[in-house]
Amino acid sequence: MTPLFSALLDALDNRMRLRGPSTKAANKVFPANWSFLLGEVSLISFAVLVASGIFLTLFFTPAVDPVTYEGSNEFFRGVELPAAFESVVRLSTDVPGGLLMRRIHRAASHLFIASIVLHMLRILLTGAFRRPREINYHIGIVLLTLALGEGFLGYSLPYDSLAGTGIRVMYSIILSIPFVGESVAFWVFGGEFPGEAIVSRFHALHIFALPLLISAVVGMHLFILVRQKHTQMPRPDVDGHRYVVGKPLWPGQAAESTTLVLWVGGLLAASAWLIPWSDVELLGPYIPGEVGNNAQPDWFLFWTDGLLRAIPAFEVNILGTTFNSLFVAGALIPGVLFGLLFAYPFIERKVYGLEGDWHVLTNPLDIPLRAAMVMGTFSFVLLASANATNDIISRMTGIPIEDLVFIFRVTMVLGPPLLAFLVYRYARRRLDSAGGEVARTEEEAGSRFAYVGLGDPEDQDEVEGAGVEEA
Amino acid sequence: MSDPQPHGRRVLERSEPDPSQANDVYVGATAIIATVAAIGFAITLRAGAPIGLYSGLLALSLFSLGLAVRRYFFDRFPEVVAAEPREPLDDRAADVVVEGDDEESVVAPLPRRSFLTRTLLGAFAAVGAGLLSLVPSLGPPVGDTLRRTPWARGVRAVTNDGEPVRPEDIPVGGISSVWPADNIGFERASVVVIRLADPPEAPTNMSWVVDDTLVAYSKICTHAGCPVALYREQDESLFCPCHQSTFDVPHACRPTFGPAARALPQLPLGVDDEGYLIALGDFEDLAGPSFG
Repeated sequence: MTPLFSALLDALDNRMRLRGPSTKAANKVFPANWSFLLGEVSLISFAVLVASGIFLTLFFTPAVDPVTYEGSNEFFRGVELPAAFESVVRLSTDVPGGLLMRRIHRAASHLFIASIVLHMLRILLTGAFRRPREINYHIGIVLLTLALGEGFLGYSLPYDSLAGTGIRVMYSIILSIPFVGESVAFWVFGGEFPGEAIVSRFHALHIFALPLLISAVVGMHLFILVRQKHTQMPRPDVDGHRYVVGKPLWPGQAAESTTLVLWVGGLLAASAWLIPWSDVELLGPYIPGEVGNNAQPDWFLFWTDGLLRAIPAFEVNILGTTFNSLFVAGALIPGVLFGLLFAYPFIERKVYGLEGDWHVLTNPLDIPLRAAMVMGTFSFVLLASANATNDIISRMTGIPIEDLVFIFRVTMVLGPPLLAFLVYRYARRRLDSAGGEVARTEEEAGSRFAYVGLGDPEDQDEVEGAGVEEA
Repeated sequence: MSDPQPHGRRVLERSEPDPSQANDVYVGATAIIATVAAIGFAITLRAGAPIGLYSGLLALSLFSLGLAVRRYFFDRFPEVVAAEPREPLDDRAADVVVEGDDEESVVAPLPRRSFLTRTLLGAFAAVGAGLLSLVPSLGPPVGDTLRRTPWARGVRAVTNDGEPVRPEDIPVGGISSVWPADNIGFERASVVVIRLADPPEAPTNMSWVVDDTLVAYSKICTHAGCPVALYREQDESLFCPCHQSTFDVPHACRPTFGPAARALPQLPLGVDDEGYLIALGDFEDLAGPSFG
């Protein structure tokens, strides 16, 4: 350390007394398991999104008025384009590094949402959502919702042909909400679709409102994580209920995280070289009343689009309003799924009569209800997502689209419950053969392993005593 | 009682790397590859190479810097797995305080040469500097843009409404703001045409004066670029409302007061066949504030 640098540190320490807290922070342990890094990948992706997004927003024109493109893209030169699309083409073609930033931004958005989903899957499967961490689980679901919203808005902004179509479908879904749909749609869009306001409003939400909200909620998520400490993978030599084991922040986790930042950056840069993410100039601008083949949203909204394709036609006029299949597919079922995700910690606690705090992770097969719930919902979401590509499957396999939709309807109704039931049965039998019930407390679960080489004898007695009492 | 470990932490596993195995060459080589690739990224990006080349170099740089960091920490610090007690979170345990001594780190670095640290920090700096190569993309190349305006030989002077101006439209003591035709609103080309009571004096270029008394000057102050909007008829001077620079119109608009250092440039003014005011060319001196 150079004298100047250490003098600066001394000066700061003399003013804020940082040495104690920072040593404490440096000693904080982080579990050394790859699956604990998924959330960190989301965080890194978010940082990349903010940095690349700042670059992009300096070039983006949030408007739809026609502008004549005068750059070096031969296909569009001299053509009138919506201003938003024109600015995207100009950034991609005429600004050195512009296409790189666009591709990295897009790739990072995919990684952001994918890592959030995988992170949530880990939390769900291992039971990291149990008390006292329900609160952070719920905050995490809020973050997922915000991230999906951010993804949809970002997908819409270039105002290419698919984006415009996606916005139209979203507008129709909002319209379909019984009683209030028309008003809400007009509030969101500032009038009828497409209107003048939509791109500038989506832009404001995408670059300002939602990122601000996400930053704040991420802050809460991390604060609670630090406050509650990490969960603990079962480990025969450690009482995970009372201790968390891992690498100290400095240097172990710092090395891990720095490497992760660099490799995630490297992965995004490499993907920008290999994959033409979001080359919207191939799609052309949005022109009302026109759409090409293969009209799909981004993958993370495949499941909603698959539902739109699967739910049979109906339209009922009752109570002075209209209920239709669009509402069921686009709002009701997604609402129910998110509601189920939100409620699951309470359901599990109620069903098994769980008590006390839980810090040690479990094999999902130890908790039959959890295994069934995750299997049921995720297989449903995956099947619905697959149905969003039924036009492509139909073209590739030659199966008529009508038959495919029928097959998907049947599998979507029967498959997930069946899979959930099979998993439940398997987990139940596994539990029975081990001669156990689902434990009601962590002590009972036997996952807080007896002390081996850790702590002092007094503590140890206490642990054993507590265990006997609870049993 | 419990061990005097910092903050109740206990080290479960500790493995010290063998100094003889310290792979300095590995760290050095990956750090240097990262540095070279980052510089390559910046150069190829600025040179307009295809995206595959510079994004590939960026990826290479970040990947190998990651390798360097990993190896660097691996060689320099003992690998430690520690157990940290959970502090009870609910109210039943309100008075339980985990005593801790936070003065010590669990892990202290091993003695190694500092050369590699500098190489690694240099590689980080190179990656940061390499990413800064995107900054020149934020605007077009400047070239001689700021030295030219749309004024050229034969371009008519028009009002805000686009009407061409005749010399006789401007009475003695009168002032008119004009633009080059087809470029109304081109800020740096903004010009004031003034009818003086008497013919101007040196160093005014008399061949650019119409009717002996009609002169045209850039309206953009040479100090900070405000429009020199106020004309004081009694001493025939232009006054900038922003910072009070004052220009003496009969003496080629040289600055007489305030922070402006250069005279307002004179527009070569003439009259075309139809009797309208035109430019005889662009400004010869720089219109607007000086730049670096």
